[in-house]
Amino acid sequence: MPSSTASITPGLPSFLRTLKTSPVESSIEQFISLLKRRQIRNSRPCALATTQLLLRVVADFKGRDVAKLMARIRHVGQRLTAAQPREMAVGNIVRRVLGLVREVVEDDNEGDTPAMSEAGQSPPSNDVHQRPGLTSSISTFSPLKHGATQPTSPGEHHAQSLGESTFTHDDSSVHRPPLIGSHTSYAQPNAPIVTSLFGLFSHPSAPSPTSTPTGHSSPSMKPLTHTNLAMSELTLNDKAGTKDIKADVIEGIREILDELDQCTEQIAGYALEHIHADEIVLVHGSSTTVQKFLLTAARKRKFTVVHVESYPNDHLDTYSTVMNGRKKPGTSSGSAIDDEEESVDDMRFKPLTSAGISVILIPDAAVFAIMSRVNKVILATHTVLANGGLIASVGARNIAQAARAHQTPVVVLSGVYKLSPLYPFDTEELVEYGDSSRVLPYEDGKGVDGMEVVNPINDYVEAGLVDLYITNLGGHAPSYLYRIVADHYHVEDVNL
Amino acid sequence: MSTESANSVPNGTPNTAAEPNQTNGTAQPPEKKLTGAELKKQKQAEKQARRAQAKESPGAQASQKPPSTPSKPQQSSSKSPKSQQGKNAPEKQQQQQSPKAQQQGAKVRRSSETAMAPKPALVKRVGLFGHLYGQPRRHNTVNAGKDIHPAVLALGLQMSSYEICGSNARCVAMLLAFKSVIHSYTTPPGTSLARHLTSHHLSPQIDYLKSCRPISISMGNAIRWLKDLIIKIDPDVPESEAKQSLIAAIDSFIRERITAADTLISQTASSKIRDGDVILTFAKSSIVLQTLLEAHANGTKFRVIVVDSKPLFEGRKLAEELVEHGLDVQYNLISAAAHAVKEASKVFVGAHAMMGNGRLYSRVGTAIIAMLAHDRDIPVIVCCESVKFTERVALDSIVGNEVAPAEELLARGEEGEGQIKRWQETPNLQLLNVMYDVTPAEYIKMVVTEYGSLPPSSVPAVLRNLGTI
Amino acid sequence: MAPSATTEGPPSTTNGSSDFNVVSTYKSLLASDPELTMPVAAIEALVETLAHSHATTISETLALLTTATNALKSAISNPISLSAGTDLFTRYLVSSLRNTGGSDTDFQAVRTHLLSNGRLFVQRAKESREKIASFGRHFVRDGCTVLTNGGSRVVGALLRSAADASPSGNARFRVVYVVHAPSSPGANEGMETVRALREKGVAVATVSEAAVGYSMGMVDMVIVGAEGVVENGGIISRLGTYQMGMLAKSMGRPFYVVAESHKFVRMYPLGQYDLGIEQKVVDFKTSEDDVAEPKGEKLEESATAVDFTPPNLISGIITESGVLTPSAVSEELIKIWF
Repeated sequence: MPSSTASITPGLPSFLRTLKTSPVESSIEQFISLLKRRQIRNSRPCALATTQLLLRVVADFKGRDVAKLMARIRHVGQRLTAAQPREMAVGNIVRRVLGLVREVVEDDNEGDTPAMSEAGQSPPSNDVHQRPGLTSSISTFSPLKHGATQPTSPGEHHAQSLGESTFTHDDSSVHRPPLIGSHTSYAQPNAPIVTSLFGLFSHPSAPSPTSTPTGHSSPSMKPLTHTNLAMSELTLNDKAGTKDIKADVIEGIREILDELDQCTEQIAGYALEHIHADEIVLVHGSSTTVQKFLLTAARKRKFTVVHVESYPNDHLDTYSTVMNGRKKPGTSSGSAIDDEEESVDDMRFKPLTSAGISVILIPDAAVFAIMSRVNKVILATHTVLANGGLIASVGARNIAQAARAHQTPVVVLSGVYKLSPLYPFDTEELVEYGDSSRVLPYEDGKGVDGMEVVNPINDYVEAGLVDLYITNLGGHAPSYLYRIVADHYHVEDVNL
Repeated sequence: MSTESANSVPNGTPNTAAEPNQTNGTAQPPEKKLTGAELKKQKQAEKQARRAQAKESPGAQASQKPPSTPSKPQQSSSKSPKSQQGKNAPEKQQQQQSPKAQQQGAKVRRSSETAMAPKPALVKRVGLFGHLYGQPRRHNTVNAGKDIHPAVLALGLQMSSYEICGSNARCVAMLLAFKSVIHSYTTPPGTSLARHLTSHHLSPQIDYLKSCRPISISMGNAIRWLKDLIIKIDPDVPESEAKQSLIAAIDSFIRERITAADTLISQTASSKIRDGDVILTFAKSSIVLQTLLEAHANGTKFRVIVVDSKPLFEGRKLAEELVEHGLDVQYNLISAAAHAVKEASKVFVGAHAMMGNGRLYSRVGTAIIAMLAHDRDIPVIVCCESVKFTERVALDSIVGNEVAPAEELLARGEEGEGQIKRWQETPNLQLLNVMYDVTPAEYIKMVVTEYGSLPPSSVPAVLRNLGTI
Repeated sequence: MAPSATTEGPPSTTNGSSDFNVVSTYKSLLASDPELTMPVAAIEALVETLAHSHATTISETLALLTTATNALKSAISNPISLSAGTDLFTRYLVSSLRNTGGSDTDFQAVRTHLLSNGRLFVQRAKESREKIASFGRHFVRDGCTVLTNGGSRVVGALLRSAADASPSGNARFRVVYVVHAPSSPGANEGMETVRALREKGVAVATVSEAAVGYSMGMVDMVIVGAEGVVENGGIISRLGTYQMGMLAKSMGRPFYVVAESHKFVRMYPLGQYDLGIEQKVVDFKTSEDDVAEPKGEKLEESATAVDFTPPNLISGIITESGVLTPSAVSEELIKIWF
């Protein structure tokens, strides 16, 4: 197999290489076409490419008009998500960068023009220097609202979040962060978090919140028209003053890059908390995150891994993972969860067998048969949705359900960047279908003509089947994901 | 493994033994003490085997090749270049053909022949399933006992290569082969058919079949029934008459317990298919096929989703057959089962066996389908002849199961699979290829048998009423 | 739900303010506007109370509110929904005052704010219903069948909104509506929604409560309203909702609750018999002597009775601020009480 075909095949490495030199607009176009042709696929490469691209977009942005900067980011984001709505990591990153801009602006406002902040805000809680040094949580934003997508007019929220009303915010400043996990300690108390309950009483100064229909937010939606956004961004702009915020934003984006970079390691860092000696762990398909996690545990403990081969889309990657510890570079066989990046460097990945872990490879059909002896199921994921459900490669649903039937805990490993604020109204929409010839080769098979051969690539696994999520921030119950979503995305940005 | 050397030592026969000498080889007393009757029987067996071999040896090679199982080519390739050595292998194996124990791995043998210095063998058995690894499957007849009937010889190969696959097909094929066996049987002097036939003539056949592939529950039931029948034959009945009655009984057994039962079952089951239904089925069951075709012939408008799995892809044959008959068929693999079940309105599956505790023992993957269907409140209907009922009980799929050769999992040659082919040499890596799984009774809505439709909990009740088969 | 509460009770004696009766205000508010929900009516009544009072200090005001709230609660047989409103109002006042330091001027500001914006609150409450409807309709996909019950206005709004969203009035979803037996007083409950939906081209089947289990197999999801969303994420809703939740759970159907967030109420029932209200749903008798008793009251009772649906049966709570998992409710409530 060609080992470093990266320079030849268009993909993430080639994109990142040219990104530095080519004009922004052509980079955007390039990324869009790579997304459309699935030459960049899977959450991690998509997140990485999006972050790098946005870094360029921000750096390239001329002028100091924050509203225009946000509009620019949003516009790019719309094009990207439209190109490949199912790669939700793209949208996630765009939303986080948008949130980053908001955050920087708010910080600046407080720093520069304290008069702008309204009476109710309590200065200490808005301390810019509170920004924690941890890259993993640096880009967490003020929790806005719970729940997922909510189509209220952004304008309304905006006005509130910038502290134009008094009473609501008064209350929120006593809101106690300890409720939230430590990683969210950065949560800004002036957020209109309480408006969901006290909203009824808030001052009428908010722009008319009357039902601006804001389209639905299932991931395959088309971008909406955003006339109403203009208002909020104008407001933003007023506040932002003229200070150049670009440097701060760029710094923030770099922190997101760091987070992406360290995510797998950080998740693996929790491995020993979850895998005990002599355990039988079942994994599925091929995932760098899971592999790393198991390898980390293997350093200290002996256990057995049952590896489901994930036929017909990912079995080659599975074989490669079993034999070499990593996916074969260049094979883009299926929906494997997270591709490697450009570097073919690593000795970081070695097969589990060489670490003394016994690995049992089983076909997908044997999942139920073996589940009665499995202690723990560890799944990788493509996307985690706000309700705690997840999209993973096909077969994950069988495994999760079989685990439930045997009372076997299911642990899902996912970087926070895979956590999407979208709510799965229609899980069918999220499922991608692959080449049916993988299921039934065309060459042989007389009946192929009359048969509808179906090859879904993803499964939707509902939240109820998952016992624990492990992200780079730690372990969470599925019921707590709403909070992590709220910590990472501004509600105004949910609908791009 | 070590068994090989252990075996070759007692024989002491040098490798150069040529075909005529084979009888000598086998004549050497095995380690086991034999009773007089057994010795006598063994002589008889030798005679038979010689006859069989004479009959077969010219055509045997040719007739065995065509059903090309994955491992066959290897076999022949290792044999043909060095015919001298190749001939030895069968002989050695033959020597320990004694009914029960023989466990040397054909694979190990082969590798030791081809590569003179065999690598230290890695443990390639999945610990949890260690108890289920019997002898490796036989894929040839050359080392079979000489008293094995040619029809049985051929059948064994067809079974080990999955050419004859499915509980019913195997059971019927076995019974038909036994008919030939009985037909060509002559009671040796000094004994009676009732005493001799079962233990001395039928048993080796059965053991041979078992060595090709473990027998199914239905086969076991049928064998028990047949043995019971033979033992009850009046010694005064002339042999030819007894044989005729046995053959007739086998025919009627096939007719009543399988053919007619299938007709009844498919009638009942097809009446459960309504217009607009989406019927989901897994792998291939002859009785489900019959049911679907019957419903289609009755003019019911429905759609079928066939869910299939590695490594046998049995469902594909079912799907193709349905398409040929003009049904609307969708084809999925088991990994996408959740998507398929979402569309389905009823699930029909066949059975390998219904266990005494109401659980279903069927092709691995069935439990996944049943679980998903149960979760969505879609009825799971099992079509199963009573001949597949067993008093054995099972809670999981691990205590009792059939472990098929792991190589079969890699059979569908594809580029990129190259690496995994080295699994044998990779320490700590194991492949597991179980054939069946056990579906909990609560996932099953209904079991359709020739005695009517019952809840899974009534399996033992049916068994009681059947008496011993 | 709410409308039944408008039946005139005995003129309640309150000691709130001399010439002002908070209970009758509450009732007349509900009677005058059928779109008004109990919590919002309660808030309005309290605003009126505030307006009629001459209390000038914080403690006076709070005492007044407490009295009025208690009067309201005791006058209504099932004050759960109502208390969501009164609690919210009180908490709002308290936390506003606390945050502003509690000076008199601040208090006046808060008071003025509340008094001058009474109608706005009502307006917002209604808007949040519309918001939920425009948001929640995305749950209702083409080709699906929805099971619902009761006379929840917000559920009705949601379904109507979903019907409107379908192109050219050709709605592609179906509704199974659980209604009371025609003879019972609550029979008309929900019929208005049924009529409206049918006018919009939505196929609606009305079934009796006894047919819930029977119909569950053909529905794709259950959407219900709630009188109150309690702290553990469960809901208090009209009698029969609990069994719908159980049936939906056992058949693997998603069960969504639609409720405005002002219905979140700080109570934590442990089960059906821990709702803090007296219900005569199950009435053991040894004789038939009260057969002659006018049936109306009995039926009335069952029409207003509620049950508790625990959070493990609920897939999601659709509020105007998004879809909450039941686990998020607790946090929302915790936040207003701290």
